[in-house]
Amino acid sequence: MAQVLVVDDSSTVRDEVSSFLKSGGLDVVTAVDGKDGLAKLKADPKIKLVVADVNMPNMDGLTMVEKIRSELHNTAVNLIMLTTESSPSMKERGKAAGVKGWIVKPFKGPAVLETFKKLVA
Amino acid sequence: MNDRAISKVLVLDNGVAHAQAIKDFCEQNDLVPLKIQKESIAKVLKTNVDLGAILYSETYGTSPEETASIAAEIHALRPELPIIIRREKSATLDGLSPVLRETCCHAYVATDLAALRGAIEQFIFSLIYPNALLRGISQIMGSVLSGQFPDKTFSFDTPYIVHDRVIFGEVLSLIQLESSWCRGYMMLQAEELTLIDLAGATASRDNAVVLRKVNDRLSEVTNLVWGAFKNRYIGDQTTLASARVQVPLVVNHQHKYISFGTDNPQLCFRYTLKDVQDGRTSTLYARFIFNLNWSPEDFNEIVPDADVLVDSGELEMF
Repeated sequence: MAQVLVVDDSSTVRDEVSSFLKSGGLDVVTAVDGKDGLAKLKADPKIKLVVADVNMPNMDGLTMVEKIRSELHNTAVNLIMLTTESSPSMKERGKAAGVKGWIVKPFKGPAVLETFKKLVA
Repeated sequence: MNDRAISKVLVLDNGVAHAQAIKDFCEQNDLVPLKIQKESIAKVLKTNVDLGAILYSETYGTSPEETASIAAEIHALRPELPIIIRREKSATLDGLSPVLRETCCHAYVATDLAALRGAIEQFIFSLIYPNALLRGISQIMGSVLSGQFPDKTFSFDTPYIVHDRVIFGEVLSLIQLESSWCRGYMMLQAEELTLIDLAGATASRDNAVVLRKVNDRLSEVTNLVWGAFKNRYIGDQTTLASARVQVPLVVNHQHKYISFGTDNPQLCFRYTLKDVQDGRTSTLYARFIFNLNWSPEDFNEIVPDADVLVDSGELEMF
């Protein structure tokens, strides 16, 4: 049973983040865009943490997190954005959708692993 | 790093009396002169993809016919390269043969280099790039490359201007840049072997999996550079004008040619990455083509609020 869903259109990022989280003892699944992320979360509603990019084809990350709350009615999963975006307006939109945290790329695993573990506990 | 972008010019001028003046002129006007033998012209034009212009001479050939023939050959190989011709008496194209009038864009005389300066400004440095932008792009690229390839050291050349429409290498990525003061594209180019090396792949070049990995690696580098550029210079997208002009890009793979539908120059950055263990080097080229809008008078650098500054890679909890 997966604990973390990593959503990014870049296979480089998906591989990097999921490998690191797995080496930290977390169970991880991945998705290639927001649409895929929604489908994976719908299929496994016990996922506890979603780590998602913003700029993705088919469905961007912020639209995905808004739909997680509005269409999947999933208010339990924790949402963290991992993105190149840092504008205040983007962060505000994320906050309004229930995003708990924001990381501007590049990903630095050791800095966030303990927090991620607490979010899936 | 020089604060101003430079441009490499091919100097095809045998005039001994003017050689030093042209050399001094280049030094004073951010030009890097490249002198070659007549027999090497075609080869150099086919291999040098970073030229800004040709400084030519009315007496370069052994006869007027040869001078015209060489200009025609250059123009056929690289039609986007401006050819600026030094004449003995007249600083205009009047009186030149039809071939030279068609292939050369401007004329000057050695006694009036101010006219040459005007031609350089018009045909090479036609876009003024804020120094802060040049420094910033270099910093962004350096930060991204050192983060993505920690087992490499890197160096970079002074940014330079080209008028080429040439695709270098086999792999390129394109991404749009949009703000209230600039609109265009960023392009990263590299040879495939370079990217295979940077992706840490060792399989055969024909391996489809390796190629996907290579493409994805370039895509991620592009994404990171684009994101940092956007955060630093473009800011909030709500400031963009509502009317969005677009022009088609044209790519001709056969001739390694790409057009952005404009004669605007391209701002280029060349990065050399060196493996710390075996010393092998790889080269990445970044090009910025502001083909849709360029208003440097409205240039704006976003300075993040120091009170809320969070380092990249750190988790900011809401």
